[in-house]
Amino acid sequence: MEATTMPDVQGQYVSASSVDAQSLNWLTIADSTSGSYITATLDGTWAVKPNREIFPLWADYETDDGRVYEIQLRENLEWGAGYGQMTAEDWVYMIKNVFQAQPNWSGYPNSGDWFRVNPESGEREPIPVEQTGTRTFEIRLFEVDPAFPFKPVLWRQQCIPKGILEKYVPNKDTEGLKQDEELNTLAYTGNLGPYTYETWERSARYTITRNEDYYLTEVDAVPERFRNAPYFSQSTTRVIKEESTRLGALESGEVDAAGIPPDKATRFENLSNVDVNVTPQPFVRNIVYNMRANGWTPFRSKTVRQALAFAVDKETIVENILRGYGQVAQTMQPRWSDWYDDSRVTEFGVGDRYGPEKTRSRLESALSDTEYAYDGDRLVNGAGEQVTLSIYYDSGQPTEGTMAEFIAREFDENAGIAVQPQAVSSSTFQSNYVQTSAPDGADPEWTAGTFNGGPRDVATSAEPWDMSVNLQFNTYPFTPASSKGFFEQRGGINYYGYYPDEDIGALYEEATATTDESRRRELFGEAFGLISEEQPFSFLAMPSSVTGYATDVQGYDQKFNAGWDSQTWYFR
Amino acid sequence: MRWYVVRRVAWAVVATFLILSITWGLLAITPNPAAEQMQFQAAASGGSAEAAEEAFEARRGLDRSPWDRYREYMINMATLNWGWSQSRSQSVTDAIASALPYTAIYSIPTTILSILLGLSIGLYSATHQYTKTDYAATFFAFFGYAIPNFWFGIILLLVFGVQLGWFPVVFDSDVPIFGLGMVQQLVLPVVVLVTGTIAGIMRYSRAEALEYVEAEFVKTARAKGADGYRILTRHILRPAAVPLMTILVGDILGIFLAASYLVEVVFGIPGLGQLSYNAIIAQDTSLVLGTTLIFTFVSVVGNLIQDVAYTILDPRIDYGDR
Repeated sequence: MEATTMPDVQGQYVSASSVDAQSLNWLTIADSTSGSYITATLDGTWAVKPNREIFPLWADYETDDGRVYEIQLRENLEWGAGYGQMTAEDWVYMIKNVFQAQPNWSGYPNSGDWFRVNPESGEREPIPVEQTGTRTFEIRLFEVDPAFPFKPVLWRQQCIPKGILEKYVPNKDTEGLKQDEELNTLAYTGNLGPYTYETWERSARYTITRNEDYYLTEVDAVPERFRNAPYFSQSTTRVIKEESTRLGALESGEVDAAGIPPDKATRFENLSNVDVNVTPQPFVRNIVYNMRANGWTPFRSKTVRQALAFAVDKETIVENILRGYGQVAQTMQPRWSDWYDDSRVTEFGVGDRYGPEKTRSRLESALSDTEYAYDGDRLVNGAGEQVTLSIYYDSGQPTEGTMAEFIAREFDENAGIAVQPQAVSSSTFQSNYVQTSAPDGADPEWTAGTFNGGPRDVATSAEPWDMSVNLQFNTYPFTPASSKGFFEQRGGINYYGYYPDEDIGALYEEATATTDESRRRELFGEAFGLISEEQPFSFLAMPSSVTGYATDVQGYDQKFNAGWDSQTWYFR
Repeated sequence: MRWYVVRRVAWAVVATFLILSITWGLLAITPNPAAEQMQFQAAASGGSAEAAEEAFEARRGLDRSPWDRYREYMINMATLNWGWSQSRSQSVTDAIASALPYTAIYSIPTTILSILLGLSIGLYSATHQYTKTDYAATFFAFFGYAIPNFWFGIILLLVFGVQLGWFPVVFDSDVPIFGLGMVQQLVLPVVVLVTGTIAGIMRYSRAEALEYVEAEFVKTARAKGADGYRILTRHILRPAAVPLMTILVGDILGIFLAASYLVEVVFGIPGLGQLSYNAIIAQDTSLVLGTTLIFTFVSVVGNLIQDVAYTILDPRIDYGDR
């Protein structure tokens, strides 16, 4: 599009969403739909391009050592509602009085991002933030963190004028802040985003109109396509809960964009008025093994987990269950990630590393010093009964149900283990299977929070379980260190009771602390290689995101984080 | 009669208080999935689940004692200051006021058509018992009763909206309420709801009317030369109206309460059905209590109107000193 004619500004872009936002006051929300409504009117600091390159929006940063970051705001950022120019004072006031307030009186959901452990005191403390100029401020981390700009703490971080916050900060007026009309109608967004708020009819539609004063159109150092952005006169999100209605609206042309489930994608690929766009996304589907005392204890053995990884055909999952819209997963990173090192990753469940003979021989060997053994094709316990395990899946997710049924069949045919799929609602799974704690009266040696209540022999979930496919895990391709807690004995998310054989956490920490990009790749490559080898859970697949667009919508691409430049999309 | 009404109203206040208290209590003891999900997300990204929980409680006002919260909600209900909806970021009164018209625009025609068609077909079936038309009407009634609303709605949308393009697939709240566009987009939801509700009225009115079709006074009227219409409306419908009132008052009140969550979801109508269901799922206490109060009030008043209507339709009924 660059160096060619600019697209015309025209039309109303209508997208469909299955859920509505909860609020336009971003200090009080944690859901992605609300976030997307707001981001269309408030750009935030910077975007991250699919190639993991920072694209400055409101601000850019400089750092010499990866520890102290100077944030530099653009000169032409103007608040609406008479609040004047955006300055560093707005930012520092907000960070110190809202994000880092103790107690967290505003209920800001991401306040934890603004606290870190100070190695000198050993305590979690607010990250020091200091205004250094009218449009500059410094964030002084306690330790080096080269990935800091890619973390949500600053990536697309938004701001609120000091003039609004001053009304509520002195009295810690939570209700006042929550119900502030300017915050709830985005009246303060000025020239800070590609669109301005028009109307929000709850459970029906959210409409924004083109911002004629969009600051980015005046910036020289941006690609030509941003010069007249955005190219839609109006943008509307329509809330359509029912999937059939949503897809019907896409097919009939009433909406220009809607997500498509994999099993319906082929039909839309054959329609002349819809283009199907497939993009990678960061979530991985796994079989999570319960290694705690109320699970099947042989899962605690790495060799057992490795043997079982030979039992499930991952390519069939991708091709038949995800209908080809996904990729096989082998570790806690997608294959396309910068941190994925083919030479270090041990593959399971594909090609000649899949099959009944390979599974049984390895499982027999791994269980040789236990009561379990093969009786013909069946794996039996000491009493001669076939080993029977449960696998849980989300009752509201048909794809998960199919996956659980397939895994049950694969375990039966390839490992001789009977598996019984069990449907459970997501909230029940969270409260009865993911939350772990020690029984009343027990005093565990340590505890790491709600989801890891202590050593696996002591702390368990309320209900027993053996395997689950309920939860997808974020692999964080831009900030891989964020998944550290999954692979540490005392990790806050280790609800499954995994004790790594290798010190994977130390590799994460070393990688996090080095500013040398190639060394970081090497260390993360090694960490993800070890994870693939240890099989803390059985990595299955990474489903792709499938979206249908009306054929006249142009500008999107097929990469991860494809919506980073959505203000440059246009109608042909 | 006057004392009867006064005492019924006083009991209505007590009943409303109890219903609101029980609703509040159930919400208070139910774990909130949104809070659990936020804790999980925080822990999964290396953050603190406990900090996420504290932030959630601060936002929702759950960091106060249950008694403080209960007292505040009850005072708000009594003073008609119904508070702030956490799941919609607007006052509860605004939320209800914005949803009510969308429910009314489909439930009013649904209710009127259901009553008119149900009564007419029911009476016709009663006077033409065991004829082909009676069987056809019975089939129609049971078809509408048996077919699930959400499924029927989706099928109608796919056939008449997507394939034939006769009707819009998604309800557009921007279309003027009194216009052909609105009529066009309400046809399918009203058809779905009418076919679902007509069966009850039709079968009930048929059964009630049948009691009088062969009654002595009907035969007398017929012998005196009264025409079919007069017999139907004056001699059959009139006595049948008293027991029918039990179902009719309920249906008329349905104009306000017949919000169908499933139909609203299928057709994308932002009415009371979605509002109240979403409020419960989101555990939006203020909004749940606000909608509960409205539904309770209408139900209690409806029962009262029903009792009074009996005395008007049949003067022999008298509550006396009760």
